[in-house]
Amino acid sequence: MAEQVYWDDVSEGQEIALTEPMESQRLVIWAAASGDFYQIHYDDNFAKNNNLPDIIVHGALKGMLVGRLLDEWKGEQGKIKQWGVSYRGMDPVREELTIWGKVTKKYENAGETLVDLDVGVAQPNGTQTTPGTATVALPRR
Amino acid sequence: MAEQLDDLTDDMKAAVGQETGRTTYEVTTQGSRTFARAVGYTDDKYYDEAAARALGYTGLPAAPGFLGMPVFNPQGDGRDEAFKNPFERRLNGGTEVEPIEQVYSGDILEAVSRITSLELAAGRLGQMLIQSSESVYTRQSDDTIVAKTRGTGISY
Repeated sequence: MAEQVYWDDVSEGQEIALTEPMESQRLVIWAAASGDFYQIHYDDNFAKNNNLPDIIVHGALKGMLVGRLLDEWKGEQGKIKQWGVSYRGMDPVREELTIWGKVTKKYENAGETLVDLDVGVAQPNGTQTTPGTATVALPRR
Repeated sequence: MAEQLDDLTDDMKAAVGQETGRTTYEVTTQGSRTFARAVGYTDDKYYDEAAARALGYTGLPAAPGFLGMPVFNPQGDGRDEAFKNPFERRLNGGTEVEPIEQVYSGDILEAVSRITSLELAAGRLGQMLIQSSESVYTRQSDDTIVAKTRGTGISY
């Protein structure tokens, strides 16, 4: 279990990240978990017949990986208020993706101590495919 | 290729703001664990109810974003298209999740969805229809709103 992070200790500009290998097996597990059985995510021939170079990572899986990044960072006492991403580019399988966040604002609102973050998913060559934002409530010390 | 549209059709315009469906989602232990595995969680609380209870949870918690699975109906989902969509190919344009209350295995959720906007746009793939929607998930056992999701669908 991750150590608890406190709002007092977070600073604007702080970065968090995790890396995930995206093998085809992962996409099949996600298909079962999400009910998204669109063949562009597991059928090479189907993907290529739809003008794709290969099967591609589900957009929603990338969105939920961002959710995991936030969940693991906030600790047991934190709370994700919201997160959202746009799927601006395709991520082919068999690459390691970096899921990242960067604190953009630290503030208090209605009795909560909050941080806003930019979030995203990056390919090994640095290409950003999934930009978004998030808000997380963190405890005070 | 779909015909080019100069503007949204009347039934598209009428669909904005309308409820497009009510769907029942089951949050099962198996579904919850499979979701956690797919997303790569290694925290025991998403797999082991005893570990979760030791942390103060009242059951097996669903990882953020997991709101169950719709019950499969071999006769179809019974939902009518809110409008005639001339574009055949679909892409998921984006997802936003607003968790409100913790979801647990065993919860039955009802999602009510609405189209919040429709617009035509020109893109690399040609003319596109961009549909934004919102779904509100309510736990049936206590009538509590547990989450809202917003999504963008792209047809081309």
